[in-house]
Amino acid sequence: MRFIRTVWAIVVKDVAAEFHTREMISAMLVFSVLALLIFSFALDLRGAVAQAAAPGVLWATVAFAGTLGLSRSLTREQQTGCIDGLLLAPVDRSAIFLGKALGNLAFMAVVEVVLLPLFSALFDVPLLRPGVLLVTALGTVGYAAVGTLLATIAVNTRAREVMLPILLLPLAIPSLIAAVQATGGLVEGGTLAEVGGWIRLLVVYDLVIVAVSVLTFGYLVEE
Amino acid sequence: MNKNRELFGLLLIILSTVAVLAALGMVFLYAPRETTMGDVQRIFYFHVASAWVGFFAFFVTFLSGIGYLARAERRWDILALSSVEVGLAFITMTVITGSLWARPVWGTYWTWEPRLTISAVQLLIYVAYGMLRSALENPEKKARLSAVYGIVAFVTVPLSWFAIRWWRTIHPDILTGGGGMAFTPRMGYTLLVSLAAFTLLYVTILRQRIRLERSADALARLRAHLETNYIGGSHV
Amino acid sequence: MSNLVYLLAAYAVFWALTFVLVVSIWARQRRLERELASLAALLEESRK
Repeated sequence: MRFIRTVWAIVVKDVAAEFHTREMISAMLVFSVLALLIFSFALDLRGAVAQAAAPGVLWATVAFAGTLGLSRSLTREQQTGCIDGLLLAPVDRSAIFLGKALGNLAFMAVVEVVLLPLFSALFDVPLLRPGVLLVTALGTVGYAAVGTLLATIAVNTRAREVMLPILLLPLAIPSLIAAVQATGGLVEGGTLAEVGGWIRLLVVYDLVIVAVSVLTFGYLVEE
Repeated sequence: MNKNRELFGLLLIILSTVAVLAALGMVFLYAPRETTMGDVQRIFYFHVASAWVGFFAFFVTFLSGIGYLARAERRWDILALSSVEVGLAFITMTVITGSLWARPVWGTYWTWEPRLTISAVQLLIYVAYGMLRSALENPEKKARLSAVYGIVAFVTVPLSWFAIRWWRTIHPDILTGGGGMAFTPRMGYTLLVSLAAFTLLYVTILRQRIRLERSADALARLRAHLETNYIGGSHV
Repeated sequence: MSNLVYLLAAYAVFWALTFVLVVSIWARQRRLERELASLAALLEESRK
């Protein structure tokens, strides 16, 4: 019970801290829209081409915006010395990880809440369906979990934020491929059963990543 | 004790040299000429063998990562970084030979064929691992953090493999239509010998790399000893 | 057949990479052993 309370306390702390300034979320949002623009110009996305490319562009944007949020939230953590305070308390290390990961998940979710309708309108693809929302949720969970773990590693390096995308993106590949393929399949009129394989892969990925992260996070923050 | 180790090392070097030469002999003299692709297909044997080593080396790093987190002993870290260096060379081999095979067979230097793609992904993970180690100064942190990265990175590799395989099944390259190979038993034996030879080669080079790292540690210890006890030439 | 160029190139790559790896390790080992020897000699000197 105390475990859940700790996790919740950390989530609330992170979300409240962000809510004060909202600078990270706004940066992520503005960046996403800019990325969307760049993709549209670079790939000349119009009409049928745009529809076909929509899932890919969506997830590429989410991935890049995600790395922004992930590094920012952990750097802020380091600057305020919060994590040291947390570590002094007799809390389960995995609770700290889950709290931070859920917080990062929340930030990404807020960005997606804006992005999905925007993409639906711009690319003329039906993204606001339960199937697509499920896929989005599954993909974001895995990304936020592995991202939080790797951001904790990256923040210790000389290169800091620059290190995170290099560490994160190769590891996010299974999740990104599955999310894009599932979204694409659903958007083209497929049923949930038809993209079942991809959804199963997403679930397995999420479970494996969360398990490994929970098991190894403690080793990252020990002194 | 040292004599035995040296002897074993020499034996390994001889064995792996013989094995590689035997494999080469089989590839060019024993394996048949493939029907659709011709002699170019012979790239296949060393390409697959290096892919195997590339993967296996990272598996070793994964295991050493767990070992280090469990025991915090330097030897696990040495094994991890040594395996990455050797594995990086082999996975690079895989990607380049794969590309050189793709060109005559499929007309393009790159194809998103599952094995080639997963090799490229592994290559990037190796590079990321190396960059992570370079970006960390404290040796203990370096060992610990890269151990965690090695573990989590490795578990995504099988998942990436499946994802890429399914992706290519749904969207096969129109270009890669001529990718089929008529596989004969002789090819099977040649492949097996190549795999064995490369594994021996990996172990041999790995041992040398581990020895190198141990020497570096010895040097660092000697330096530290000299600095603390003999500052400025006089015994402190 | 021009395709044999690729076959040759692939095996050349194998030899080149193996060679580079092995020689690099060997060269670093030599350098380290030389430094170890000179430092050990220094230690002997300081002890006298």
